[in-house]
Amino acid sequence: MVAVRFHGRGGQGAKTASRILGTAAFLSGYVAQDSPIYGAERRGAPVAAFTRFSREPIRERGAITYPDVIVVADASLLDDATARVVDGMDDQTVLFVNSSLSTDALRAHLSLPEQMTVRDVTGIALQQLGQREAISALLGAVAARLVGLEWESVRLAITRELQDLAVTAPVIEKNLTVAKQCYDSSGPASLHKGRSQAISVAALHRPIYEPPTKGTARISAAGNSVLRETGGWRTFRPVLFADKCNGCWLCFAYCPDGVIAMNQEDRPVVDYAHCKGCQICVHECPTHALVAEREAEGGVAWTAK
Amino acid sequence: MWQRETFKKIKQIPREEHVMPGTALCAGCGGLEALRLAAKVLGDHVVYVNAAGCFTMLAAYPYSSFKGSWLYTTMGSAPAGAQGIRDALDVLIAKRRLPKSEDLKVIVLGGDGSTYDMALSATSGAMNRQLDFYYICYDNEAYGNTGMQLSPATPYAARTATSPCSLQHPAATMQEKKDIFEIWRAHRPPYIATVAPRYPLDLEEKFARAATFTGPKMFLALAACPTGWLYDPGATPEVAKLAVETGLWPLKEAVNGVVTHTYIPKRKPVEAYLRLQGRFRHLFEPTVQTDAIRHIQERVDAYWQQAAQEQA
Ligand SMILES: Cc1ncc(C[n+]2csc(CCOP(=O)(O)OP(=O)(O)O)c2C)c(N)n1
Ligand code: SF4
Repeated sequence: MVAVRFHGRGGQGAKTASRILGTAAFLSGYVAQDSPIYGAERRGAPVAAFTRFSREPIRERGAITYPDVIVVADASLLDDATARVVDGMDDQTVLFVNSSLSTDALRAHLSLPEQMTVRDVTGIALQQLGQREAISALLGAVAARLVGLEWESVRLAITRELQDLAVTAPVIEKNLTVAKQCYDSSGPASLHKGRSQAISVAALHRPIYEPPTKGTARISAAGNSVLRETGGWRTFRPVLFADKCNGCWLCFAYCPDGVIAMNQEDRPVVDYAHCKGCQICVHECPTHALVAEREAEGGVAWTAK
Repeated sequence: MWQRETFKKIKQIPREEHVMPGTALCAGCGGLEALRLAAKVLGDHVVYVNAAGCFTMLAAYPYSSFKGSWLYTTMGSAPAGAQGIRDALDVLIAKRRLPKSEDLKVIVLGGDGSTYDMALSATSGAMNRQLDFYYICYDNEAYGNTGMQLSPATPYAARTATSPCSLQHPAATMQEKKDIFEIWRAHRPPYIATVAPRYPLDLEEKFARAATFTGPKMFLALAACPTGWLYDPGATPEVAKLAVETGLWPLKEAVNGVVTHTYIPKRKPVEAYLRLQGRFRHLFEPTVQTDAIRHIQERVDAYWQQAAQEQA
């Protein structure tokens, strides 16, 4: 059995990439499974998805604890402990990271496995597809190549999965062209098959009754969600050109997260620690005083806590 | 002509935030935008009673976005939870165990799945008992939290996870959106309003007006949803605007059952709205499904014709 775990941010395509890989394996005659994690999988929030395939029926279910391959759609997740990217990673794991940074830069503060490839897939998507979040087909293609699946099944799988997402035929064609390039320029990895370990069965616990004051999850703090910084969700940040701003307050009015405040001079001040980069302010600014700039990886104001 | 009395200029929107950032909701969530604006009028002396759905992510242990209180309930029971809290507050105040100054507004927060479907009977009961509470339904027209399954709020021809396009149904779902506004109105609560995030002053004004009534104050907020409706998050205001400008999402209120439209759109063709969203893309590609688009247009036209007649 081959087990592949995808990590990304909601909306980036990790879940679809996992489906593409599963479908491609299935079309190649394997038994396949793919499933995303169920939880607060929102646009921008860390998500994970799992693909297993094998010639034999697969009995394992659920999350993949010891993956053969880990595909990371967003390098900032490596620093985010809650994303648990490095769980079950060891020297035999094959790692792929989508990043504009070099392998050495990524290794600088984390010990990462020998078999590691880094490629700026977002850059490729921006350049060739004109869209920052259109990387699912590319990631799916890279993953399929790493585990040694044939292009023909990958092509069919991408077409099917993108059709399912209401992507139009010409856009699917473009995706296929770029995905093929990504596929061709990667090589198959050498997988240490059969290393996925059985997960030990926890002893059965008998729950003890506690009164609701003790036994339920109570939050006693008010508005403490500010401790959770969501600035790392951004691919683009809104930047203000103050001389163009006419102080109309529209960006403040329309920001869903309330991360734009108007200062004494009626100029917006963006809380970059929390701005999720939705671009509403950039779209709605009548004088184009707010402009989207791509986040420089590693150089952002935001750091994971 | 309906006129705003309190909120005339955009700079009257209160600066203070009551729903704090750091939430797990999607970037560009239109429902969150509506709630944020509503909370600016509702303030912090509140308790939100939240049916399971996207908004339960607003208070996911150990973090809460609310400066006020919050209680989690099952999808079908938020209005019953609101009744319990209202009664408890009333009893405590009557027994002088709680000063009147610490009274709270009780506000149900529910998605459309909960509102149109699972909690409908509990809502009906609460309205029938004239419970003094607010109800905010953020309507993203599907069961969002679990991955966008069809709900009774899903409009004709919208594709969802459980209403795909098929040979039998090339235009996806053929159901018509349930008219929850009229179902609510049949109960004669003192105040009902529809709102949309792109119209902040209309929204603020309605929450200010609602505050003058005792009893059920019902709100239906358009929650343009980039994740479920398949458009770029930055387009949320644009999508909400076109929903209103095409006449698909009428902005209106009902005071003791008497309906007033608070904004009369010039009514752009519905196509402008549909084209923006991936969930309607099958209506345009690979072939244009003229019949389905015309059907949607005819329903909107009929709605506004009837509204004009009733007004006259
Ligand atoms: C009785 C019941 N069935 C199913 C669920 C699982 N569930 C949790 S949230 C959710 C979706 C709720 O949809 P909606 O009310 O439209 O709110 P949204 O998620 O769109 O915000 C579902 C089905 C549940 N919590 N309770
Ligand atoms: S799925 Fe839609 S309604 Fe739910 S949080 Fe995301 S944008 Fe908001």
